[in-house]
Amino acid sequence: MNAIFTVIFLISLTVIAVISPDGALTALMNGAEKALVMAATLFCVYAVWMGLSRLAEKSGLSGAAARRLKPLTKRLFKTENDRACENISMNLACNLLGIGGAATPHAVKAIDELEKEENSFAQKLLFIINATSVQIVPTTVIALRSAAGSVSAADIFFPSLICTAFSTVLAAAVFILGSKKWHW
Amino acid sequence: MALVIPLIFIAVFTFAIIKKVKIYDEFSAGIGEAIKFTLSVLPCLAAIFMMCELFEASGLSDKLTELLSPVFSFFGIPSELTKLVLIKPFSGSGSLAYLNGIIETYGPDSYISRCAAVCFGSSETVFYISAVYFVGLPRKKLAAPIIIVLVSTFLTTVLACLICKVL
Repeated sequence: MNAIFTVIFLISLTVIAVISPDGALTALMNGAEKALVMAATLFCVYAVWMGLSRLAEKSGLSGAAARRLKPLTKRLFKTENDRACENISMNLACNLLGIGGAATPHAVKAIDELEKEENSFAQKLLFIINATSVQIVPTTVIALRSAAGSVSAADIFFPSLICTAFSTVLAAAVFILGSKKWHW
Repeated sequence: MALVIPLIFIAVFTFAIIKKVKIYDEFSAGIGEAIKFTLSVLPCLAAIFMMCELFEASGLSDKLTELLSPVFSFFGIPSELTKLVLIKPFSGSGSLAYLNGIIETYGPDSYISRCAAVCFGSSETVFYISAVYFVGLPRKKLAAPIIIVLVSTFLTTVLACLICKVL
């Protein structure tokens, strides 16, 4: 990330310095402003779902769900850490339900837990599964299409399902097989 | 679909009442965690967004789109989608706005729009996720996982354009 960031940042700045130097500060400030707006939106999403997920956690609901999924998470992520398993299960459940905003805090908690046992493999696998999108119903896209007057807004359901499954399975399989050989 | 959200809330609240959880206290405490969490990701967000704005303002983003369009076309990805495919790993809101633009320009039921919708729905904001997930662990080596995800996302885009032709 450091390398990518530095390279893109510097090259862009150099080009701006040549073509229109006064655009540089505006662009930087715009970026910061957009980040703040984005953070406000994210806070709203997190406030709703982290409030709810704390209730699920304190009432033992997420613990129960995690115990059901434990055989699966244990084998896939090679971890014995119950808190990590719980958060991984909640993360996957939220993703499948299409509430990606609620999934993120669980992933971060799981990754922090996994750090305690230095389980890099599980952390990266969880990242890969999330970064390739696991979603049953692409609600945002369907809503957007129907708002634009589509005659069958949901007809992308099957193509999306095939594609999202394909990308996740492919990336996870490559990572799991590759990490045996190269210790990624 | 809209029914899912209230049902989830009612189910969790009911269960919490049965288990005698102090609902207001815990719900607020959860929101407290949300504040901490939002603040912890804000620095990454600001840095990434500044980089994206610079990249856009320098005109390099348009140049790159122009340059890669023929390559993408070779793999069966319509050139109208090049920019969407390039923005998505960086910005969810940016690519959503772009998807909306495509749907408005080409009509929601056109081949281009359907491809764009499937590509958008089956991919994620890779760089954003990598920055947020590992916010406390800046020293993690993530090059291999990120490359795997990007390649697989690209192949999925190729597959999406193929499937949309058939289905």
